[in-house]
Amino acid sequence: MTAIQHQPLQGSHFRRILVIAANTFTQLVRMKVFYFMGIFAVIAIASNFFDLPQHEGPESVGSNVLRSIKSWSLGAMTLFSVVLSVVATALLLPKDVEDRTLYTILAKPVPRFDYLAGKLTGVLMLVFVSLLVMDLLMTAVLHIRTGMVVEQQMEMARAMGWPPEAIDSLRAETLANGPNLSLQGAVLAVFLRASIMASLALLISTFSTSTLFTTIVSFLVYFIGHFQADARDVWLHAGQEGEGVFARLAALLFSLILPDFQLFNVIDAVIEGQAMSLIALGKLTLVGLYYAVFFTFASWFIFADKEF
Amino acid sequence: MIRVPMAESTPAVEIRNLSKEFRTSFRRKPLRAVDDVSIRIMPGEVYGLIGPNGSGKSTTMKALLGLVAPTSGSCAIFGKDSLKTDSRNEVGFLPENPYFYKHLTGAETLRFYGKLCGLYGKALAARVDELLDLVDLTNARDRRVGGYSKGMLQRIGLAQALIQEPRLVILDEPTAGVDPVGSREIRDLILKLRDRGITVFLCSHLLEQVQEVCDHVGIIFRGRMIREGRLEELISIEDQTDIVLKDASSELLEKITALVAATPGASVVRTGKPRTTLERLFLREIKEEKP
Repeated sequence: MTAIQHQPLQGSHFRRILVIAANTFTQLVRMKVFYFMGIFAVIAIASNFFDLPQHEGPESVGSNVLRSIKSWSLGAMTLFSVVLSVVATALLLPKDVEDRTLYTILAKPVPRFDYLAGKLTGVLMLVFVSLLVMDLLMTAVLHIRTGMVVEQQMEMARAMGWPPEAIDSLRAETLANGPNLSLQGAVLAVFLRASIMASLALLISTFSTSTLFTTIVSFLVYFIGHFQADARDVWLHAGQEGEGVFARLAALLFSLILPDFQLFNVIDAVIEGQAMSLIALGKLTLVGLYYAVFFTFASWFIFADKEF
Repeated sequence: MIRVPMAESTPAVEIRNLSKEFRTSFRRKPLRAVDDVSIRIMPGEVYGLIGPNGSGKSTTMKALLGLVAPTSGSCAIFGKDSLKTDSRNEVGFLPENPYFYKHLTGAETLRFYGKLCGLYGKALAARVDELLDLVDLTNARDRRVGGYSKGMLQRIGLAQALIQEPRLVILDEPTAGVDPVGSREIRDLILKLRDRGITVFLCSHLLEQVQEVCDHVGIIFRGRMIREGRLEELISIEDQTDIVLKDASSELLEKITALVAATPGASVVRTGKPRTTLERLFLREIKEEKP
């Protein structure tokens, strides 16, 4: 054993967060979470065959199959990312407390914020890598299939004697349903939504007594998030007749705390072939960041004084 | 920045009038787990806190590590308030019945804790090798911790507590549930730490073990410190003396007894053959059985 050397302890917040994040990532990977990739590959390939027969004309040939690939793939991505974000986050924190692993970590010079941020970052790293792999697979399948569809359409249009301008217009329309930047924006939106859910589950798990409670409440908030905008509108409309100001303030507070997931409906628009503007994506990113940071700091607020 | 060693007069542990209450429910009176406990451990000492289960040992340790906040009183490690993160630079902790990340191997576990303490690169790799050797886990370094036995878990736990070369090590029931061989190994490790000048604060309800390694003890019961001091002073019987003889004949024993009887004020309290402990017998027997 070497002599005791009291060297200054190095290490910044950022480095410690990364160490905990990398450990969480490895933990989840070794829990064989990536097996879902196999299921996703089957979904992405199988969605190629969900094509209904088209007889209307060349413009419709194969368009549905492109939408089907996007719809199934983005649906699977949403399911996987939201479930993983909630379940993994809800599971990891109580497990560390139960196994007393948390004691050994907090007995080191690790601020509690670093621990929480590390855990969250680890889960988000896994979600990000998973989405990246799924995105690559979806884009590859879509790219191949779009090429086939465009070729088929061009052949039919030429056979029907369409003018060159109309053929070009048809090609552009079909390509809009293929892999493009809007589609990548939609995948980013899926990631942002998962980030909000992970940070929400983190917040709930800091005061929850069980993983089951955290999971149920998180999914309840996810569900509420999909209709809270409608509920708010109805409420505000009713409020105009009476206590308008209070109702508006209450509605504002409500939306500051509970995320409005209707904002993510732009993903459905992308599936339908519409473009996602940079402004819309920027707005979504800001909203996602706001909720993720808000929930993380709220978690820290509770966790900082928690006793073990 | 070079860390200047604190003056020897600064206690490694300073617990002042610590009290801790836990709320059990709204109506009931709060449960007082620790009641006005004060402990002062100087650098280099091995201090054993003994007491039955639920007497407040673990709560005292958790308060010292900042895992629980005192209801009143204060705790400090080398003069730094326990509620501040930087007090943990100088301390290593092994909780009772620890479980580490099952997905990591022994070496990965130590690397993880080392990185948390700001160790990197070759210094970390060398430290991991050194500690695995110290706790005799070099052969199991690439096995996942999930497959470790209870004794191995305690030893890897002790290694992680030592990763940043702390000046104070806190051990909560370090041999709980470990077989006699493993228990002896952990005891030997504690003695090695003492030889290196590391302050050890351990709590246990295994009194013989505490007696073997500690130079100071405190007895805690129902949250209160009922006795504290140097072990030798606490357990010695001032008016009695042991004489252990080897190969003494019955004539010699008779002469000694007669001499004592002839001396005014002195008397023989007890004679007989000293006994080994069951633990020593067990360890000797299995040592002889080993090829």
